[in-house]
Amino acid sequence: MTTRSAINVRLGRAGRRVLGVALAAVCVASTTGFDANQKVLAPAGPHAGGVSRLWWIFFPVLAVVYVVTLIFCAVAVARGRARQGRDAGANSIPPPEAKPDEARERRVRSAVVVATALTTIILFVLLVSSFLTGRELTMTRSDAGALTIEVTGHQWWWEVRYDDAVSANVFTTANEIHVPVGQPVILRLSSTDVIHSFWVPNLAGKKDLIPGKSSSVWLRADREGVYRGQCAEFCGMQHAHMAFVVVADPPDKFWAWVAAQRQPAVNPQTDSQKRGQAVFLSATCVMCHAIQGTQANASVGPNLTHVASRAWIAAETIPNTRGHLSGWVANAQGVKPGVLMPPNSLSSEDLQSLLDYLQSLK
Amino acid sequence: MSARPLIDVSGLPKHRFDTHAPIWWGNLWLLAIETTMFVIALAAYLYTQQNFQVWPPPNTSTVYGLDPVPGLTPGTINIILLVLSCVPMILTDLAARRGDRGAVKLWLTVCVALGVVMMILRWFEYGAVKFTWDSNAYGSSVWMLLVLHTLHLLTSWGEAVLLSSWVWTQPLDMHRRVDITALAVYWYWVAGIWIPFYLLLYFAPRVI
Amino acid sequence: MARENEKEREEAKQDDAVALPVEGERLRELEETWKSPRGVWKFLTDTNHKVIAMRYVVTAFVFFLLAGLEAAVMRLQLARPESRILTPDLYDQFFTMHGTTMMFLFAVPIMEAMGLYFVPMMIGTRNVAFPRMNAFGYYTYLIGGLLLYIGFFLHVGPDAGWFAYVPLSGPQFSPGKRIDIWAQMITFTEIAALVGAVEIIVTVFKQRAPGMTLNRLPLFVWAQLVTSFMIIFSMPAVMMASGMLAMDRLVDTHFFNPAEGGDALLYQHLFWFFGHPEVYIIFIPALGFVSSIVATFTRRPVFGYLAMVLSLIATAFIGFGLWVHHMFATPLPQLGQSFFTGASMMIAIPSGVQIFCWIATMWRGKLRLKTPMVFVLGFFAIFVLGGLSGIILASVPLDWQVHDTYFVVAHFHYVLIGGAVFPLFGAMHYWYPKWTGRMISERLGMLTFWLLFVGFNLVFFPMHQLGLKGMPRRVYTYLPETGWGSLNMIASVGAALMALGVVTFLANVWASRRAGVLAGANPWYADTLEWATESPAPDYNFANIPTVEGRSALWEMKDDTPIVVGLSTECREVLCTHIMDAEPDHRYELPGPSIFPVLTALAVGVAFTAGIFTPWAFPVSAVLSGASLYGWFWSNRNSKNEPVKERRARTDKADRPSPRPAARTVEGEA
Repeated sequence: MTTRSAINVRLGRAGRRVLGVALAAVCVASTTGFDANQKVLAPAGPHAGGVSRLWWIFFPVLAVVYVVTLIFCAVAVARGRARQGRDAGANSIPPPEAKPDEARERRVRSAVVVATALTTIILFVLLVSSFLTGRELTMTRSDAGALTIEVTGHQWWWEVRYDDAVSANVFTTANEIHVPVGQPVILRLSSTDVIHSFWVPNLAGKKDLIPGKSSSVWLRADREGVYRGQCAEFCGMQHAHMAFVVVADPPDKFWAWVAAQRQPAVNPQTDSQKRGQAVFLSATCVMCHAIQGTQANASVGPNLTHVASRAWIAAETIPNTRGHLSGWVANAQGVKPGVLMPPNSLSSEDLQSLLDYLQSLK
Repeated sequence: MSARPLIDVSGLPKHRFDTHAPIWWGNLWLLAIETTMFVIALAAYLYTQQNFQVWPPPNTSTVYGLDPVPGLTPGTINIILLVLSCVPMILTDLAARRGDRGAVKLWLTVCVALGVVMMILRWFEYGAVKFTWDSNAYGSSVWMLLVLHTLHLLTSWGEAVLLSSWVWTQPLDMHRRVDITALAVYWYWVAGIWIPFYLLLYFAPRVI
Repeated sequence: MARENEKEREEAKQDDAVALPVEGERLRELEETWKSPRGVWKFLTDTNHKVIAMRYVVTAFVFFLLAGLEAAVMRLQLARPESRILTPDLYDQFFTMHGTTMMFLFAVPIMEAMGLYFVPMMIGTRNVAFPRMNAFGYYTYLIGGLLLYIGFFLHVGPDAGWFAYVPLSGPQFSPGKRIDIWAQMITFTEIAALVGAVEIIVTVFKQRAPGMTLNRLPLFVWAQLVTSFMIIFSMPAVMMASGMLAMDRLVDTHFFNPAEGGDALLYQHLFWFFGHPEVYIIFIPALGFVSSIVATFTRRPVFGYLAMVLSLIATAFIGFGLWVHHMFATPLPQLGQSFFTGASMMIAIPSGVQIFCWIATMWRGKLRLKTPMVFVLGFFAIFVLGGLSGIILASVPLDWQVHDTYFVVAHFHYVLIGGAVFPLFGAMHYWYPKWTGRMISERLGMLTFWLLFVGFNLVFFPMHQLGLKGMPRRVYTYLPETGWGSLNMIASVGAALMALGVVTFLANVWASRRAGVLAGANPWYADTLEWATESPAPDYNFANIPTVEGRSALWEMKDDTPIVVGLSTECREVLCTHIMDAEPDHRYELPGPSIFPVLTALAVGVAFTAGIFTPWAFPVSAVLSGASLYGWFWSNRNSKNEPVKERRARTDKADRPSPRPAARTVEGEA
């Protein structure tokens, strides 16, 4: 925008060199990863779509207003300087005009009035378009046939529970919300500790999770994909690492996933896995985690029944690979300082067995 | 030497009462701040009320008896005294305007004495609330209002003590006379602001 | 009452010599009367508004530097993904300290300090209405700031954000003393802000020079007046909020505890009922700076005085109706939210009117592009953009997406740095000669401007885009996969430029103090009364109180514009005038130096600091402050009149030839 070109004009050689260094650094930094799918203006559903449409009304209008205002400002500066040059030499001070000429003032006054009127009209148009979009996003949504998912915010991860009339069909997972493409989803939000905010930019705007209050978000994914989201309300030390993904699958794939998730955890097969399970059940793990089909049923930390089916762990902080998992189990504090999971001093064999077991929990 | 015309102000008085006096305005804006605090405390009280099915909530401790509504007696006597105490304060105010040191001495001392009685009564008002500040949000809100007003009671009383100690020992100059009229405004305000809060704390739960 | 005044007047008139302008011997006497006390101990007793205001300015600027350093470290941390310069615990303290310092310890105090310095000078009086209260305000502010920073250096810095939302800041999730220190610091600085606001209002109401009717009040003073009213009606909300938070933490009340019927949203309502007006409390005084600078450097009054004044007032009113736009993501009824959208957009209209009026002023004026004016032009370029992105945030659906992202960070830095800090830097270059008696270097001033302007846009422009790419606020780091690295790197490079700009400014201030060209009374040929006295201004501001015959006091001053005589030179006497028409009303003696303001501030300080550890500190400190206030009150007595008469008669005889006939315009009562 204008500021950028101003930079180029004004900086001179030294400035351009600084900018060059910066840009080089930028290129290095940007080669390290792909662009995560977490964008406001790349909507994949009606909610984010409505907001995105509204953006493309607001942004051009406001950009034009900005440019026009600055043009007027620049012309005023040029005129003012010219008048100063006319009335006095470059170095002397022109006499003040304590009582400006009334007739000329009147002309300027009408310009100011027109500008104010235009401002008001523009604001009114924007206000109406904003109001209509807001209404459309809340009124036209259909709850019929909506899937209901309970999302509970914890410091610093997301508990996701799929309700069902049949209690055996209810299952709980963490940080990965699977939804069927094309079907509306209502997320019932609550928090057990502090305020969090649920936000998947590609699908819907934010909604706060406030302890003692209930709230909900309606969304529908119209395109297949994995949409990253992140807690948007500061919630303590690991606010930065409280992410999640919404996985939008075609309905058949989604229901297959649901069927798999409803199953209890697979029984350990190999000796190492069996030993791993024993380690899990005898160490502090059981104080916080649940694995359906074993005695572990605490709900302080994420449910691990199908932990191996998830692509990332620690609220989308590290990929779910053996190496990362191992580091996480041994010393979560090193990965995510302040996290409520304590370090575990397991013998190397115990740790390997535990990893074998956890990785078998597809 | 300056050739400008002169506006001679040496003939103007040195202090004037009411809206002429800076102290009157200082006092007024102080009261605006305090009133805002009371209004905000009121808003918090009413906001908290929305979270309760019954207000005050049922009493779970039998220490204060089962009725959760605050007892009427000390609060009612106190509000009557508060309003009545404005009479000696009006007399103080008028005496200060006249420059009548004897009358100021008398009525200001009466006000100080009444202030002591009111603060003792306020002690029993806390007792009449069937909850403590840490029982629940209701208890916290009621105590907040009571404490807020008690602080103002204490401040206006302290100011009255200061000024009466002056009039008992020093001549009553114009400066102090203006101060006394400002104290009177504060005193009326402390009494007046409590009337709606008295009705809110003691009668709203009985009537609604 | 009439009788009273008669009597008073009789007493006053006993020495019937015709009053004369203050010159020669009597000027020395005036100097002696108003002289600031010297010496370490006496240093604490000073009550001169310029001294107190300058202490505010310097202290606030030090806090600005500290908060800027905190920002720089945060920019280092965020320059690359997953860097480990700051631990999350430290990062949380840093961003909390940055926000808290900038809002409570820098922006509000420095804006008020500019008012406390220049309002009395612009309206032609010698001190603020309650000089000792003013000093008390400064010391509470200083104690609050020190408390916060001592805590920070002892690793007990607050870490729940400058807004300290419950329940995160509550007893359960923030054990320890960090948040308690924050809450007490809020109380301190708000006391100071409230005291300053009352000072400014009463001074403007009662102490304007004869002829300065409300219709002739400089726009700077209007801005300060409007701001002070906003402070009076908004600051109590945050004092209550932080007080309730402190009580929840210290004595187990349940205001915000949902388990016992409390409510976390109540805190947000209270905080933002203050928090939104707060933005305008910072921004409106800056509009006053801009109006002063624009008038001076276009050689004409600002276009549309009435429109400007009404816009200020409208901004203040609407400013109280916006707070819910900080809470659009909370579960609140949507219809109510739409009301706040309307109000938030409406506030753009008075801001727009002011921008248009300034552009019109330049259009019709004779523009001189000196450093202060260049900062004002920078203000236009940045602030207008910030205002427009604010319109995006006002829309409920758009806010759902950009709320609590870097888009908001970009927006409010455009508004606050563009809208307040750029005018402030302009103001500091503009009034530097009045402060020091020397001109500030134009060359270094321009360099400062360009470093700040370019640096600023590099830091904050990319943040709009970061927000749209999904980067939330208050994160101590981010994953490389997010793709936010490049824009963050640009922002961090910009931060270095801004830091360089601030260093240049400091160097300029230091160097010009020694080497600057002598300024004289009115180096810019400006129109307001602070330029009517020498630079730096004497302790008594004006030897003879000027009178005013138009909106541009100095430009409309004629050879026969009268001056005020007859104020005592032996005691700190000021002239009180009527509120509306500024006719002389009475003389009023202000107290001189006193140790009690600092003692009282210390006594209050004991309460709030020790109160963090035990509630018993409050009664103890109540007794201490009571004792101190007793001394305060007792030491405030008027000087006796007798010696005045004698000395005045003597001096009059000594060096006065027959005086000009006094224009005794003032006789009756109001």
